[in-house]
Amino acid sequence: MFHKFSTLVIGVALGAGLASGPTSATPVQEAPWIPEAAAYRLTLFLGNLTPVPWDELERAWFEPYHQSQFAQGAFQWLEAESDVETDQLIAAIASEDRQAVFSEATRLIAVRINEELDEALAAETPAAAQQAVGAAQELYRAFADHIAAADPDAAREIGLAWLEMASATGSAGVLGVAVVQPDRDAMQASRAVISDYLAANYLIHSFAPRDTLSAVPETVALGGHAVAIPVTLPPGSDIFDQDPLPRLVLGFEEQGIDETDLPLIAYGDMLFDSPEIFSGPARELGIACSSCHNRSDINQRFFIPGASHQPGAVDVDGAFFNPMFNDRRDDPIDIPSLRGLRFTGPYGRDGRFASLRDFTRNVIVNEFAGAEPTPFMLDAIVAYMTEFDFLPNSLLTGDGQLTAAASEAARQGEEIFNRPFDGLGGRSCASCHVPDGNFLDRQAHDIGSVAPAYQDARAGALDTPTLLGTVYTAPYFHDGSLPTLAAVVDWFDDTNALGLSGAERDDLTAYLEAVGAADEPYEQFDDENTPFRLAFAELTTFASTLDTLLLRRDIHHILLLTDSVASDLAADAGTMANLSARPEVYSLAAHLAEVGTAVRAGDWPAAEASWAAFQGEAQAIEERAF
Amino acid sequence: MNLLLTRRHLLAQSAAGACALLAVPAMAQTETLRLAFIPQENPQKLLGDIEAITGWLSAEIGVEVEGFVTIDHAAAVEALRNGDADISFMGALPFVLAEAEIGAVPLLSEIYRGSPSYTGRVFVRRDSGIETLADLRGRDIAFADPVSESGYLYPLAEFERAGLIASLADADTFFGRMFFAGGYQQAMQAMAEGLVDAAGASQFADLLLSPDQQSQVTWIAESETIPSHVVIARPGLDAEVQASFVAAMLRLNEDENSEMLRYLYGPDGYVTADPTAFEGVRAMASRYGLLR
Repeated sequence: MFHKFSTLVIGVALGAGLASGPTSATPVQEAPWIPEAAAYRLTLFLGNLTPVPWDELERAWFEPYHQSQFAQGAFQWLEAESDVETDQLIAAIASEDRQAVFSEATRLIAVRINEELDEALAAETPAAAQQAVGAAQELYRAFADHIAAADPDAAREIGLAWLEMASATGSAGVLGVAVVQPDRDAMQASRAVISDYLAANYLIHSFAPRDTLSAVPETVALGGHAVAIPVTLPPGSDIFDQDPLPRLVLGFEEQGIDETDLPLIAYGDMLFDSPEIFSGPARELGIACSSCHNRSDINQRFFIPGASHQPGAVDVDGAFFNPMFNDRRDDPIDIPSLRGLRFTGPYGRDGRFASLRDFTRNVIVNEFAGAEPTPFMLDAIVAYMTEFDFLPNSLLTGDGQLTAAASEAARQGEEIFNRPFDGLGGRSCASCHVPDGNFLDRQAHDIGSVAPAYQDARAGALDTPTLLGTVYTAPYFHDGSLPTLAAVVDWFDDTNALGLSGAERDDLTAYLEAVGAADEPYEQFDDENTPFRLAFAELTTFASTLDTLLLRRDIHHILLLTDSVASDLAADAGTMANLSARPEVYSLAAHLAEVGTAVRAGDWPAAEASWAAFQGEAQAIEERAF
Repeated sequence: MNLLLTRRHLLAQSAAGACALLAVPAMAQTETLRLAFIPQENPQKLLGDIEAITGWLSAEIGVEVEGFVTIDHAAAVEALRNGDADISFMGALPFVLAEAEIGAVPLLSEIYRGSPSYTGRVFVRRDSGIETLADLRGRDIAFADPVSESGYLYPLAEFERAGLIASLADADTFFGRMFFAGGYQQAMQAMAEGLVDAAGASQFADLLLSPDQQSQVTWIAESETIPSHVVIARPGLDAEVQASFVAAMLRLNEDENSEMLRYLYGPDGYVTADPTAFEGVRAMASRYGLLR
């Protein structure tokens, strides 16, 4: 599945995931967070990682969060916006006292909500009151989903209080028309509902120690009942697909073979897009293989605070996704492209897995905490991934030589690329990036790009990456530390004393840019090929494997499919150009869900009937709905 | 331009009677075109957007273009009346009120999803059992704002059309409780979370819900079409400047300029406003006693 960035903006009380049930792999664009609310949510998130990334937690308060629309960090914002005291929170962060940070930060948010409510009540105009109420609600958002999970009755009462408060602020109308006078008594009454709850749960002197930091109200926390808090990502997270979306090149498709005639591959395609094969946070957040590897390539925007040191990178063996697999090292890696995967083994940045199957199992079970995949699942996903081909590039021949279309500079660069250098031990760039071997040698080399993890460490060897398609996969190196191909050339020249002139560096860069180019690197959307149409075609292709699975009475794999695809199909309806046709897509998704329900009940005739209904409606939608 | 904007500054200046955030001379001058913007989200982001679009417009028109943020529609209209602003961005209902009060002139209409008009709808949860407007008698509803066409007046008019209410005042007795939630998103969220039974909002407002919530809501009534948001000018604005501004804004429809649209509330483009397109809004405002 791919997820074209949409302009959906989801505000108060929504997280990016669901607490239970099938998960959708369609992420939601959140409304911007007010700085201190963002810092608080980041504090909860980062404070629950082991070890706590204190530098990052400190930055959460002193600097704007990733992609924030505010120019200031929380403390600077508060200095301008509020009278709230921040000294104790700053001291708690400096002393790396997790419980104290939680207590001070929680109180700060509660104080700020009250401060804004005071301002609303003191406001002289409806507009000023509305702005203060709006700000108070944005601050309350830092607590809202946890209150809803822990104390739903209170959440409802407070939700109504916000509605009453907003209504009671009145309206300035326009030039004296449509004026609605503020109802101060109603404002006071609803404010009391909110502030009384804050006083009892968030403005207390001493919070009980918490193993897991959350905004669960203290009275509930003290009760000792387990609260199922929905998994959410902190402000600044970005799990939307890259825009522009990479073009997917599948071998069978280029040969004119229909994926619906390849049920194993189609099922693997579904698994590649399914969060259901994972568990824990990845599953609940709707993260799938394709979240990082958009259309077999990379996702340059993927970013999760505490797990990513920069966009396009992630630490898959950190504290967030699977505590069992937490290596307690802060070592995020740049997401690698999977194009040409069958030619690029061994797998993993250091080539630790010779087998793609073993590597895939490790991703599912260890990195993302999934249940042990069945042999069929592994067969399917490997079958699918080995169809990933490199992007066609008319500047290169099949054996890696430049064609006549390449520039003169690139030709000069090709000579340098093949030139032996003393600094490389008499080898050339081409010794490892073998042109007729897809520009790699399937070996690991220590080129000095990895800082030693300990004294005398001999652990810096990394698998040689292909150079194909690299124009579109910046940044470079395992940690994404080099922003451009020119920077890569500079690094090699500088660290290996190659002695290149400026012109030679430019030529070598031109050669790399020719090798890494593509005729059509991105998916081209237009009125016909819309994001929804692409998603719809994918999802109905996935569903086509039911033809095979229903015959085999394969309960496990049918349910994995229906749980994955039904929710995604419904979620993607919001991206349709023809919004009026959404109910038809919801109906289609419901038929697929009914297949799952019937299979769970052992009612195979009903499952087949629902599948037949799905197929009939899908065909009709394909013809009409776009 | 000072980009360090806080809401406190906004409120302080508003309370002091100055609707503009940036220094605004008492009277607009023809050599500077002043645009009034109304914040929809974070005022800081809006300031960045304003800097980008006014810079582009200045280069296109050859006249210095400045932008500033007002606290709400009322302040924007006041700015037009006082001459503190030459042009403002506005909903159709505030426009017809401004037209009646100060002679504001419609220049451009937003195109959104291929049309210069849209509708208001009454949304409910699919599992609510509510199928008709009559089913909402005695039930709770959230609207966006009292000065909202798609988020209040037009959806409410559907109750009148259905014979359920005779006037605005009847709404209070027809519904159980009626809220003005502060915006589409808040009204829709209140409905989706079950705090109220229905929401009156723009036809596109369900896109403000999460994908899962979208699949759980539906709509039971749709209003007649409403002219989309409009760019208006104060009366007496120099005709040549006005024409240059309109021409520049229409160039935003061209591919090479369309990136700039994201700095302007994100429409798909603009068309020249058709004053007759607002007849329905004028009639509705009159019927509900909003036009004197």
